[in-house]
Amino acid sequence: MKSPALRDALFGLVAFLVLAALPLLTTSSALIDFVIRCAALGLFATSLNLLVGYGGMVSFGHGLFFGMGAYSFGIIMQRTGMPIPLAILLTMAVAAMVALAVGAICVRLKEIYFAFVTLAFQMLVHSMIIAWVPVTGGDQGLRGGIPRPSFLGINLADQKQLYLFSAALLVLGLLAMRHIVSSPFGYTLRMVRDNPTRAGFLGVDVYRTRLTAFVLAGVFASLGGVVMSLFVSGAYPEFAFWTMSGEAVFIVMLGGTVAFLGPMVGTVLLLLLNDFVTRVAEHHGLVLGAVILLFALGLRKGLLDFVMDWREARRTRAQAGSAGKDKMAAADKMERVAT
Amino acid sequence: MTGTSLRSMNRRGFLVAGAAAAGTVSMPWVAGAQAKVIKVGLPTILSGRVAQLGTSSRNAALLEVEKVNAAGGLAGRTIELVIRDTKGQPQEAARVARELVNSDGCELLIDAEASTGAFAVHEVARDLGILCVHTNSETSSLSADPKLKLANAFRCARQGIHDSVVGGTYAAEIANAKNLTRWATCSPDYAYGRDTTAEFVMYLKQFAPKVEVISEAWPKIFQPDYTESITKILQAKPQALYSCLWGGDLTSFIDQAAIYALFTQMQFYAVNMADYTALTAVKNLPAGIQSGNRYIKTFPATPENAAWGDAYKAKYGEYPTNWSWQNALAVNFLAEAAKKAGSADGKKIAEALRGLSIKSPFGADGTVTMRAEDQTIVGYAVGWGTTIPKEPYVPEMKSVPWQRIFELEAEWKKSKGFA
Repeated sequence: MKSPALRDALFGLVAFLVLAALPLLTTSSALIDFVIRCAALGLFATSLNLLVGYGGMVSFGHGLFFGMGAYSFGIIMQRTGMPIPLAILLTMAVAAMVALAVGAICVRLKEIYFAFVTLAFQMLVHSMIIAWVPVTGGDQGLRGGIPRPSFLGINLADQKQLYLFSAALLVLGLLAMRHIVSSPFGYTLRMVRDNPTRAGFLGVDVYRTRLTAFVLAGVFASLGGVVMSLFVSGAYPEFAFWTMSGEAVFIVMLGGTVAFLGPMVGTVLLLLLNDFVTRVAEHHGLVLGAVILLFALGLRKGLLDFVMDWREARRTRAQAGSAGKDKMAAADKMERVAT
Repeated sequence: MTGTSLRSMNRRGFLVAGAAAAGTVSMPWVAGAQAKVIKVGLPTILSGRVAQLGTSSRNAALLEVEKVNAAGGLAGRTIELVIRDTKGQPQEAARVARELVNSDGCELLIDAEASTGAFAVHEVARDLGILCVHTNSETSSLSADPKLKLANAFRCARQGIHDSVVGGTYAAEIANAKNLTRWATCSPDYAYGRDTTAEFVMYLKQFAPKVEVISEAWPKIFQPDYTESITKILQAKPQALYSCLWGGDLTSFIDQAAIYALFTQMQFYAVNMADYTALTAVKNLPAGIQSGNRYIKTFPATPENAAWGDAYKAKYGEYPTNWSWQNALAVNFLAEAAKKAGSADGKKIAEALRGLSIKSPFGADGTVTMRAEDQTIVGYAVGWGTTIPKEPYVPEMKSVPWQRIFELEAEWKKSKGFA
């Protein structure tokens, strides 16, 4: 167990160093903004994949936690002005509590019912944000900017420092989630996904496993929300609207549910497409729709999953000469789900 | 699936990603050219339900930019509008606004966003310190709340509170004359709907103390079916009904309420009726709806205003909207301020804008002023009148002198803790 964790940590460190070096190579603020948004949506989508890919629970209400993160953080900063790291921890704690309450009801449900009840909770929270004007600012959102006092010499009002901070949060968040899915708990979660009855007979508490995954996913989604609220210096009801959840599902479909970094690839892809297409075309919805059709009907899986499977298939084919053909079939089958 | 087709799909995927990457990488290069051209960013909503309004903002801005450029541009620099769709999402509005400044090299922003987007762009203006003129958000707090004030942000749009003062005064006059005491309201259930209705009712009651509101319906925004609200209103049997539904919501409501013969049973006050998009969309516009002016080429009844409306129609094949005149006026303000400042520099233009009065077809008395204290326009044409189902749609508009509006606005600001 030790060496894969170390490898992941090294990989994370290298990724962070590359990101940190990026501003030295280019002066493009767009690139910096792009990475900050990638961090927000990447954390959000990867956390959804904890549920979809590893837990087999397709949530349509995950935007609830994204919005929750943005609002809790914004409100805490506007009202108390506490140090940012503390506010982030508090936000994650709030998200955990909400996720615990929502999850306690939802994770008992199966498939479509789970999807719909999570959606219902999200719309409930969205309506609360709209209605609770004195606290949330209603449908105008949290106005007046989010104060960003310096801490430990870090000034998040400076876009470059915000960039580094977001990149660090992204890498740390991804590492933590990676650690979760490769821990015994992660494997239990996969077992519950594949065969809950069997897992139950083996002594696994299915309900608790699912609930834990739900809470963890909620916490990381809220971290994504924090980054987004720092980026726009506000929080808006759209963050907790169902379209936000839809976007995450879209990203996961685009990038892939099997490979851990699939949603991250999906995020980059979606944002690139979005930024590029809205720049040149008026009917960008048409283009994005066509792309998702291409993935759904053409690749039939997310991009990263597709690439991984393709590489795997090629490697097996190369080995096929010496080792025989049955292995290849087995390998093909094995690659279908998150392992 | 065969190996070849898989590979070709993959290549296609790479092509899309590659093209997108190339786009991003080339951004700074695109921004490189500057010199004689001054780029002005205009984020607005070009897709979704209010796309029509966003498009009309763009059209009007382009129309005016053409004139300004023909007259020498902004202090000698030709304006190039860079227009982007924000889809009406605040995070997109923030992103697009930042990108317009940081990557496209825009030196000024005309923020043609609706309310939440406008607040997001406002924060971008705070961050980047760029001169920003909000052109479509009517939410009073954007300029009235001193906590939100920025030296570099202006509003060139109607303000909810001004409309309410005029609407309340106008309605109270009729209520007193015809003894309309039983009122109902039917407005969309979100901040704009709640606030505007509350302000209207406040002034109505202030000037016609006998009025009482006996029924309130709050349909959701973008709701397709209003049967529930309509029957609720009919059951209460009010003498008059107020609504600040707008756009497609208002026209659907009228079409559906007409089936129940609602308009023969009570007077209807719809602040957002007198905009050409709404007027022309209703199939059988009932006569006698009372409405505020959004944009109507006959009010103010001047040749300049009529000429502007006609010029717009000649170019784009339809009449301008309320969003159109606000964006056109913003371009005019920038041009005049640049002339006064003798520079296209954002800071100098901002300085010149404060307190600037310009001649305009949209002014109540032929001029509009950018009030210095809260950096929002005053003196624009604001009135109410009775609509008829054909042109000129509102033959006569009544207004309230701006001096009176200022007095009531000052009281309102005090009550809100803004002053």
